[in-house]
Amino acid sequence: MKNSGDSTVIDVPPTAASSKKKAVVSTAAPGQASGGVKRGLSIFDFVLRLGALGAALGAAAAMGTSDETLPFFTQFFQFEASYDDLPTFQFFLIAMGIVAGYLALSLPFSIVCIVRPRAVGLRLLLLILDTVVLTLATSAAAAAAAIVYLAHDGNTSTNWLAICDQFDDFCQKVSGAVIGAFIAALLMMFLVLLSAFGIRNTH
Amino acid sequence: MKAVASDSSELKSSKLKPGVNRGLSIFDFILRLAAIVGALGSAIAMGTTTQTLPFATQFIQFRAEYNDLPMFTFFVVACAIVSGYLVLSLPLSIFHILRSRARATRVVLVFLDAGMMALLTSGASAAAAIVYLAHKGNGKTNWLAICQQFNSFCERTSGSLIGSFVAIVLLMIMIFLSGAALSRRH
Repeated sequence: MKNSGDSTVIDVPPTAASSKKKAVVSTAAPGQASGGVKRGLSIFDFVLRLGALGAALGAAAAMGTSDETLPFFTQFFQFEASYDDLPTFQFFLIAMGIVAGYLALSLPFSIVCIVRPRAVGLRLLLLILDTVVLTLATSAAAAAAAIVYLAHDGNTSTNWLAICDQFDDFCQKVSGAVIGAFIAALLMMFLVLLSAFGIRNTH
Repeated sequence: MKAVASDSSELKSSKLKPGVNRGLSIFDFILRLAAIVGALGSAIAMGTTTQTLPFATQFIQFRAEYNDLPMFTFFVVACAIVSGYLVLSLPLSIFHILRSRARATRVVLVFLDAGMMALLTSGASAAAAIVYLAHKGNGKTNWLAICQQFNSFCERTSGSLIGSFVAIVLLMIMIFLSGAALSRRH
């Protein structure tokens, strides 16, 4: 210690170094724990993404192969039905194709999120794109569900007849496609929740 | 002297960061108010749509109401539920303005916003599919276009879809804002 006038100079380098080391040790533990949790969330996110991809592909395939031709024909009703006949089903097929394509392309990004638990920008990008594609999938599924309901039950007020009475196979395949699309949308909702949970900065 | 200098730099960083989050939360609150107007307006516009034709024919009904079609009923119910949710989530949004560092409540808000957005999207898409069918009809399934008789009914139902689509876009932006606020370092 040196006393020069008002100020006193105290040599403290050894204690400063030891306090720095202590600080490093105390902040590393919660950082590692949050990295492990984030890695678990990312793995679950990857699994959900695979499931949603399977559901979306199944829905698109069921809708695309839903052609049916009846063995007889009458004067008033057409004797073959396919997804081409209704523009809503065409929109459904295109939209589920886009959803399945996006999910397949986002699988590598999900793997990167597993490997690097702290990539915040990538997670935010996945959250934004997942939300947009969730909207598209829900919209396609709901529009096709409205047409399927109409095909099953008809509507007396507007004089729309139920075509499912004639085209049984077609209706079954199309209904299955709509269910698959709703499952994909539900899984994507959980993907959005996981992304939001994993994106928060726990430091 | 050195200790005082480091304290002032820490104060500066902790003052700047919550400012951006607070701005995001205020923007989220404003968007929430606009989405309430959109969803509620859609529900009311669709729910009060009736048209009675001055003549009567043997085959076609001469009165059209929103509950003749179950998809329109679902649309009105979905819009009402979403506008009710948005009103109830206003206090949570105000809480996020006051406490910009809240994380768990933001995650809850993101999940509920996503769920409500999916509900509203499904209601609006189903109603849009029926409106398209009412305008164009379908030759293959023998479904006639009813808009040729019920002109004002069709116009009113088509217009009420616009408010709900605006509310869907606003909900999507709100999810982005919450995600951005969650990802920022404090």
